[in-house]
Amino acid sequence: MLRLCVAAVAVVWLALGTATAEPKPVSLWHVFNLETDMIYGGIKSFNESQSEYRIDPRLVPANQLVAELIKAIATGSVPDLVTLDNPVVASFSAQGSLLDLTDRVSKSKQIKPDVYFKGPWASGMWKGRILAVPRDANTLALCYNADMFRAKGLDPANPPKTWTELVADAAKLKDPAKNVFGFGFSAMQAEEGVFQWLPFLYQAGGSIDHLDSPEAAESLQLLVDFVKSGVASLDVLNQRQYEVTNTFMAGNTAMVMCGPWELPRLRNEAKFDWRLSLLPVKDGKNIRASSLGGYDWVVPKDAQNPDGAFAFIEFMAQPQIVSAGWNTGRLPPRTDIVIDNPQWPQAYAIYHEQLQSARARGPHPQWPDLSRPMATAIQEAITGKRSASEALTDAAKKIQPILAKTPL
Amino acid sequence: MVGSRSPLLFVFLAIPILYLLALVAFPVAYNILMSLQDVTLGNITSFARPFVGLDNYREVLGDPDFRKVLLNSLLFVAANVIAQLGIGLAVALFFSQRFPGVHFLRGLLLAAWMLPALVVGALWKWLFATQYGVINFAIGSPVHWLADPSLSLASVTIANVWFGMPFSMILISAALTGIPLEPYEAAALDGAGPVQRFRYITLPALRPALLAVACLITIYTMRAFDLIFAMTGGGPLDSSNVLPLFSYQFTFQQFRFGIGAAIGTFAFFIVFAVALLYVHTLRREAVE
Repeated sequence: MLRLCVAAVAVVWLALGTATAEPKPVSLWHVFNLETDMIYGGIKSFNESQSEYRIDPRLVPANQLVAELIKAIATGSVPDLVTLDNPVVASFSAQGSLLDLTDRVSKSKQIKPDVYFKGPWASGMWKGRILAVPRDANTLALCYNADMFRAKGLDPANPPKTWTELVADAAKLKDPAKNVFGFGFSAMQAEEGVFQWLPFLYQAGGSIDHLDSPEAAESLQLLVDFVKSGVASLDVLNQRQYEVTNTFMAGNTAMVMCGPWELPRLRNEAKFDWRLSLLPVKDGKNIRASSLGGYDWVVPKDAQNPDGAFAFIEFMAQPQIVSAGWNTGRLPPRTDIVIDNPQWPQAYAIYHEQLQSARARGPHPQWPDLSRPMATAIQEAITGKRSASEALTDAAKKIQPILAKTPL
Repeated sequence: MVGSRSPLLFVFLAIPILYLLALVAFPVAYNILMSLQDVTLGNITSFARPFVGLDNYREVLGDPDFRKVLLNSLLFVAANVIAQLGIGLAVALFFSQRFPGVHFLRGLLLAAWMLPALVVGALWKWLFATQYGVINFAIGSPVHWLADPSLSLASVTIANVWFGMPFSMILISAALTGIPLEPYEAAALDGAGPVQRFRYITLPALRPALLAVACLITIYTMRAFDLIFAMTGGGPLDSSNVLPLFSYQFTFQQFRFGIGAAIGTFAFFIVFAVALLYVHTLRREAVE
């Protein structure tokens, strides 16, 4: 009897306790600095919609997030939820640093793996287990200055569709007297440079596991020739993606490789008629391709509050929130979501179509070790230190032993 | 009281020793330990990781990029020491003259030193831009300051000299005010000109201070990271990369923690040797 009494009191006390308790904090690290990003609205409505959890966000600069997370893992005090750039996710999942979300996803009503695009979803998989859920997707398309097209007698309704047209148009658009380059891209000694070269590699019919192929060399030679002929600036070696967009917005470059995350900036700062187009294809090959980027939700292994974290991942996977991502140029990573009346309708149509042919980087646990030799090869070829094929053969020698152990 | 070993004495001795052990000795020892292990994200939380001996060091020394970066670091430091000392001394001498607004101008120069290095780096990246940069506008030819591998190290050096020089200048200025005026008066009476007064009075009196400043510049520039990170990221082709940034890239971009630690060890021993030299000069200065 006494035992029953104690049990009853305990149950009542627990029920009261949960009812009156403060919401449990869920620490979230993210990189989105535009206040119009879906994450801000999402956090606000999540915190207001229930009283069990409270999201405590921390904004971390994008280029410091990985370093911060590594430090947090090393010291054992990890956040509950992190947004990670998708090519690095595999490095964390393969080392067992992330919480396995497989069971939670299989029970989830919101998150159905089959509605996600293959590339973004694959970035969160490791050995058949689900370790990340895509938040958004992005890809590269061609952004061009229609005013400059008109000034040079080109038809702005007819942007380059093939490599040959790209080369010809870029050469016509180049105007050294006005400091205008025809074409711009990032060739930084960093992941960004690789991200921008990969579309050309795929379009040429090349692949990362055969960098010593003539197709791969052709794709790099295209970029080399742009710089050699003065159609692109040698400064591409030192330009980050946002700096490439800066040169476009300043009217110093007529066409650039551009991701949809730049759309808010283009709207506010580009004072001319700018438009988007699908990336050209290589003549004769006709392979449509681009790089896939985007952010994944991950829960570090030792998170204090994984349930709260997953509740928020589910909340953020609702179609109306994922669609709101487009307000800052973040594409839904899902095939079942088509945005009606999107902002920037022309850009949306292009990016939505380009996403169908965007290829994921990896997933590979040693993606950084694959990426670095490629970045080096790009820089060696553009500086003229080596020919494109020599530089890529060298990269292939470094990459192939890694791929022999763990294929892509 | 004097000579009695009160327990309090040991407490006061223990505080700095514990401080040094916890905040200096431990990180250094931990870094060396990591450089001898195979560290991955999976085992980074524990101390017991596979011991690999000197494998990391062998890999680092066998990497031609490392040799390039080590040489870059030495060149970067040497150029900074020479330029910051030379320009700092010239500017300090200039501001030791009496003219209206001298204190204000000297203070203004120091403002540059107070800016965050990332901001200074972004600023110089802009100044050095090939097409729209002020520097190429001034010299009238399109030089690829940051994109040309043969120039990028010189460009980041120029930026770092601009950034660090005011600090050297203030230290030298302080040493200048410490020189008594009498020898100058006596020398002027004996007919010594300004060059001779500088050569035989100012320079010998400044010598210990200059040595100390040289050591400080070496230590500061061996650690240079943010400025180069913002200007070139170490590129193109590691032509402007230095040891701390190289170590950071291996650790946080390539996830090669052991390699990053091994590179860090090289940087540590160089700084440590210079720090010893610095302490030695300070002691000699105190004796003199």
